[in-house]
Amino acid sequence: MSDAILTARGLRKSYASGDRRLDVLNGVDLDVAKGESVSIRGESGSGKSTLLQLLAGLDAPDAGTLAWAGSADTGTKRRATFLGIVFQSFYLIPELNARENVLMARRILGRLDAAARARADELLAKVGLTERATHLSSQLSGGERQRVAVARALMNSPQLLLADEPTGNLDETTGDAVIELLLGLCAESQTALVLVTHNAAHARKTHRQLFLRGGSFAHG
Amino acid sequence: MPWYLYLALKQLFPTGRKFPFFTAISVLGVSLGVALLVISTSVMGGFGYEIRRMIVDTQGDVQVRGQGLVEDGAGLQARLATVPGVVATTPFAEGVVMLQHERKPAFPAMQGIDVNRVSKVVPLERFIRAGSLDELDDDSIILSSKLALSIGARLGSKVEVTSPLVVEKIKSEEIYLPRELRVVGIFEVGHQQLDSSVVLVTLRLMQELYGLGTAIHGVNVKIVPGLDADVAAARINAALPPAARVTARSWMEANQDFLFILQLEKNMIFFLLLFIIIVAAFSVTSSLLISVVRKTREIGLLGALGGQPRQVAACFCFQGLLIGTTGTVAGLVLGFTTLYFRNALVEGFTRLTASEEVLTRFYQFSQLPAHTSKGDVVLIVVCSVVISTLAGLLPAWRAARLKPVEALRNE
Ligand SMILES: Nc1ncnc2c1ncn2[C@@H]1O[C@H](COP(=O)(O)OP(=O)(O)OP(=O)(O)O)[C@@H](O)[C@H]1O
Ligand SMILES: [Mg+2]
Repeated sequence: MSDAILTARGLRKSYASGDRRLDVLNGVDLDVAKGESVSIRGESGSGKSTLLQLLAGLDAPDAGTLAWAGSADTGTKRRATFLGIVFQSFYLIPELNARENVLMARRILGRLDAAARARADELLAKVGLTERATHLSSQLSGGERQRVAVARALMNSPQLLLADEPTGNLDETTGDAVIELLLGLCAESQTALVLVTHNAAHARKTHRQLFLRGGSFAHG
Repeated sequence: MPWYLYLALKQLFPTGRKFPFFTAISVLGVSLGVALLVISTSVMGGFGYEIRRMIVDTQGDVQVRGQGLVEDGAGLQARLATVPGVVATTPFAEGVVMLQHERKPAFPAMQGIDVNRVSKVVPLERFIRAGSLDELDDDSIILSSKLALSIGARLGSKVEVTSPLVVEKIKSEEIYLPRELRVVGIFEVGHQQLDSSVVLVTLRLMQELYGLGTAIHGVNVKIVPGLDADVAAARINAALPPAARVTARSWMEANQDFLFILQLEKNMIFFLLLFIIIVAAFSVTSSLLISVVRKTREIGLLGALGGQPRQVAACFCFQGLLIGTTGTVAGLVLGFTTLYFRNALVEGFTRLTASEEVLTRFYQFSQLPAHTSKGDVVLIVVCSVVISTLAGLLPAWRAARLKPVEALRNE
């Protein structure tokens, strides 16, 4: 598939637990196409976060291969431009205001110019936070913080967005709104989305639903 | 600006917060250390500088002394004049006498000076507070200020001088009458000891009082400015034949012990006060460490966003450096301001504790001297900035070691 954004083959990961090894992932295969949205569900402890970390290149698998848009380079530098991540906890930097937090994603690339500032403002407008742009994260509600985090994840126009239970810390209505926003923005910019969630309703809104069970995907 | 410097600045001075408490405290610690260092090295340097200046101003750059008496004073001076670097010379004779004014006795050290030559070597006129050096003749005397005060003598007063020669006269059953001298000048150097125990008379009178004939005790030498006094002394010694039985010593050599103790004292104080900065640096380290622990997840996020571990490290190192530099600048300002108002401060302090007398007697100066050497300031600045940057290293290392996955898991 020429427009495969994410290709994972036989990903394995185990953790040492005492003197035994805990096999969390036993050969996970996953393909995500450009602009496609995929949801992953599974019991708590089934390895969803572990998988997302492998896909993000934040951790190395024990076995298996991973490619981003056909390239095996999953290093720190490429990650910054290739993908965005949204976490359950929002991880905003407390000393920065909303706009500065969004801009941080671009600062790390060292390319902060007028265009970047315009993009940050545009994203803040899209997530409906133009009025809150100069608020510190402590002055924002949970939903607002997550929307800032979404804007930050999209700042560098990534081809892939990974979201690990982005609504886990939000109430239902707010959570629904964030998911709508996430899906809408990804569809608009043709960004592929991998969404880890416990919420069946949220999962149904994606193109494809996967279940992680016993260390690999059980379709259906 | 690289993101890690930007973030370091933001962590020290967060957006929208008026008073960054942590930053202020850390900066204050460093600046107090720097200020104390500046003040104490300056005051110590001031004492040293004043004492050196006083020694040179009263003894000349080099002093040539005979092992006993120098019989041929003129010959010695003629020979000294041929040594390159020697600008002027003046002979002296010295000794303790008893001085009485209205039956109040004192036992000052009397200096016999050559009125015509002395000014070419030491700036004596500068210290004359009343009267004048020109009026000094064989029947007059110049007193130091404190001494004059203690025996109640004033300009125009008559004082009686008795020299140790009286002992010999008594042995040979001669009659000895004390010499009556008119006070024609009062001088004040600003040094407690000199101001309370030295009197000046003409060389001829001194020779007469001590029965020296035409002999002198030595010669004070002025050398060309910029020439090292020790070098000049060595040159003079090389030029003088051993038979002359005289040796030249620079003022530094002559006052070696004293100057050494002064320098040692200054170094000790420097090192002790440096510990204030080190202690301040420890507090910076612990604050930054706490900040690393508190920000573990944010650090993980920066890694996820594409930040390199060494950049994360630089972010914390830079905070140490920034605290160090700000603290150093603040400390310099604080230190120099305090120095500027030092006399007012000391005055206030002594008035509070009624201890002016003690201060003058103990420290020899009526005003608190200060002399800041460029080298000291550079040393202080370098030490404080380097120490503060080192303070950021441990937190930086901790932060760099955090793996994004583990950091993000840290709930
Ligand atoms: N660093 C680690 N060391 C040891 N065990 C780990 C580590 N990280 C994860 N695990 C274990 O791996 C398993 C999967 O964890 P993971 O966080 O991926 O689950 P999850 O599916 O995301 O769960 P949840 O829905 O609760 O977030 C868990 O049993 C966890 O205890
Ligand atoms: Mg999880």
